[in-house]
Amino acid sequence: MSRWTTQELLTRLAASFGADNVEEVPTADAAIQITLPEAGDLGVTIALTDREIFVSTPLVEAAQVRDAAGFNEACLRLNPINPLSNLGLTTINDRDVYIVFGEMAPDSTAEQVELEIRTLADNAIDAVEALKSYLVSA
Amino acid sequence: MSLLQKILTLFRGTAHEAGQAVVDANALKILDQEIRDAGNELIRSKEELTKVMAQRQLQANRSKDRFAKKAEYETYIAGALRQGNEQLAREVAERLAAVETDLKNDEQAIASYDASITQLKTAITATERKLARVKQQVDTVKATEAVQRAQTAVAARHSGATGKVTTALDSLERIQQRQAERGARLQAAAQLESETGDGDLNAKLANAGLLPESASVDNILERFREKPVQQLSHEPLSLPAVEIKDVEHVERKN
Repeated sequence: MSRWTTQELLTRLAASFGADNVEEVPTADAAIQITLPEAGDLGVTIALTDREIFVSTPLVEAAQVRDAAGFNEACLRLNPINPLSNLGLTTINDRDVYIVFGEMAPDSTAEQVELEIRTLADNAIDAVEALKSYLVSA
Repeated sequence: MSLLQKILTLFRGTAHEAGQAVVDANALKILDQEIRDAGNELIRSKEELTKVMAQRQLQANRSKDRFAKKAEYETYIAGALRQGNEQLAREVAERLAAVETDLKNDEQAIASYDASITQLKTAITATERKLARVKQQVDTVKATEAVQRAQTAVAARHSGATGKVTTALDSLERIQQRQAERGARLQAAAQLESETGDGDLNAKLANAGLLPESASVDNILERFREKPVQQLSHEPLSLPAVEIKDVEHVERKN
């Protein structure tokens, strides 16, 4: 069982990241959105369930990838060496979007969740910089 | 077909038309079915286990009775032989032979029940593990969905009609732009300082040794020429005098 409720985690994260940068997203299943000014205002989303804490940030839209095969292979090769996070493909707002995400045990401490969020953001920025040559805008 | 195979098959069929949401919804349906199946299987296996264990117990009880019978017959045979009643002993021995055959069969039956029990227990453990894994998977799909819904809500809020999702690529561009701006600001400030401020003049004055703080050799020697001899005597009393003199010195220059 999770040691956190969304509200409890929200309060703790607001203390760490600043109240202005942490908000509850009013969806059916209550998620938390964190904005990281030091990571170019990158948005990291967190959802809690009984068995895990899911942390995710959008990497790049699939439409912005010029060389999908090359990009996918590079992602697969980066994935094993990416600390605390994984690369994946999902749909947000009816658009295919690559994401960087991590799954944590529901009994993780606030410090562990905080580290996960910061690491995830750093990884996302590093990854998009490393993968830029596969993108349309490169 | 394994669970992931089913989901991947679904993905191939729907991904390009309807997207992840349909896959998630169907994955949940498959997973729910999987949980029901595993749950039913667990119930069946446990019922079967109870039945087999009961049968084994009955068999063991019967076997125990036969052991008692065997011991009883053995006593009779010994007694009959002691009395020299070979005929009676033979008669009882025939009964005993039948009991011993039954006992051998019992032994085989019990071993067979034990094997079934081990097998069922292994199957139950495996099903329980599968059930835990599927439940975990349901949770992951639900967490993914929750995050997707939240990300969609955030994207809709930020991008309006375009539907564009704000990504790490946008953040990277923002970081690089901020760095460029900061660099340009610093450069502009430095330039402004050197052009309009005293930067240029001060540099010339310092070179000429005319600024009070400039540590030119001439300034140092000048300081010594102004000081009385006592400064070299290392007496503590001389220190305040020097300080006062220094202050006066600076004030005069300004």
